[in-house]
Amino acid sequence: MTIVYQVITACVIGLVGWNLFRERRLTEQMTAVLVLLPLLLRVLMIK
Amino acid sequence: MTREKRTFGRWWTAVLLLALVAGILIVVSHDFMSMRVDPPIYPGSGVTEIRALSDYFGGIAGTAADTDVYILQGDEPGGTALVLGGTHPNEPAASITAIVLVENARVERGRLIVIPRANRSAFTCTEPQEGYPQTYTIETPTGVREFRYGSRGTNPIDQWPDPVIYINAAGQPLAGAEVRNLNRSYPGDPDGNLTERLAYAIVELIRAEDVNIAVDLHEASPEYPVINAIVAHEDALSIAAEAALFLELVGVQIGVERSPENLRGLSHREWGDATDTLALLVEAPNAAQGRLRGRTDVDLIVQGADPYYVRAAERGLLYVPFSAEGHPLDERVGRHLQTVAMLLEVYNSYSDEAIVVSNVPTLASMLDEGLGTYLAPPADGAS
Repeated sequence: MTIVYQVITACVIGLVGWNLFRERRLTEQMTAVLVLLPLLLRVLMIK
Repeated sequence: MTREKRTFGRWWTAVLLLALVAGILIVVSHDFMSMRVDPPIYPGSGVTEIRALSDYFGGIAGTAADTDVYILQGDEPGGTALVLGGTHPNEPAASITAIVLVENARVERGRLIVIPRANRSAFTCTEPQEGYPQTYTIETPTGVREFRYGSRGTNPIDQWPDPVIYINAAGQPLAGAEVRNLNRSYPGDPDGNLTERLAYAIVELIRAEDVNIAVDLHEASPEYPVINAIVAHEDALSIAAEAALFLELVGVQIGVERSPENLRGLSHREWGDATDTLALLVEAPNAAQGRLRGRTDVDLIVQGADPYYVRAAERGLLYVPFSAEGHPLDERVGRHLQTVAMLLEVYNSYSDEAIVVSNVPTLASMLDEGLGTYLAPPADGAS
């Protein structure tokens, strides 16, 4: 079950990262990295 | 009229922001990962062997649930007692009591087995949305010892996900989050989730070591009815009652509760049913756990004083007296130590297989000299 969770989280990280580089508004880019932070902590099983 | 889009963002701003996230990730990861390092315990001269719990059941080897088992073997043969602390790491007096035993007690007859961090995984996180500090400190005469304030349940990193309804190995339906609660998982399941395997390992230890009397140390919030109490399996009820009587005579007010037969999965029920041991659980008052508490900080954990609990006591809402002095950790650990010592004393009066343990601080000595006096100084001078 945990591996399914990690795969889903990794997919969301990929999509948010893709959006981060496509986005032309700085505020939206900042929002994207704020979303990335907890997702990275999750996928790395740190928190 | 259409609003013009701002276009300050470029590929290099994205890279800069990613670098910022990486920096934050490194800092917070260091903080979170440090919670997985066990604060040191300094075994006293009474400890004759340190084993791993996985020696009794290999199903937890290499997991976050494996924990140290301290064995204090006396010179003369006798019975075996088990003291468990840290079942719920948000109940610090339990774990600290076990640590004081490991660092001070000496066994003259029989054997004492102590597990200070029964649910080691639960020491690596705190309860979400409760605002608990990750650590608390206790001053010793030559330095400061730091201890971890943990969670009631196994870290979700180690066991996930929680079901909606949890039916434990004993068949008791419980709320889903209880699936990570060690004291709802007995007698355990060798093929179950991590917490159930941990519970199984503890029961295997009780069986393998022929434990005669086993005490599971806990704390409870002051508004919880079962507090300042010994909860006893029916086989251990007479010992608990006699110990409570003698404790009253030395100024330790404590009640006795019979372990309910229809609430399954708890240590005082399942240890007694699944093994030959005399199963007991002891509770002390911890304001930091309560729903009525105010500011939640290290002082609340260590000093145990809270103005909201004083007001609650004035209104008769609590099950323990609660004055402005509160219930400091010194008192709660002293109560636990004296209760364990008294339970063993009463057990010895009825058994040929006595367990004689010396150098256990009393409640009075804890209150007079302070808990720090009975903790070994930190190896580095100031942990």
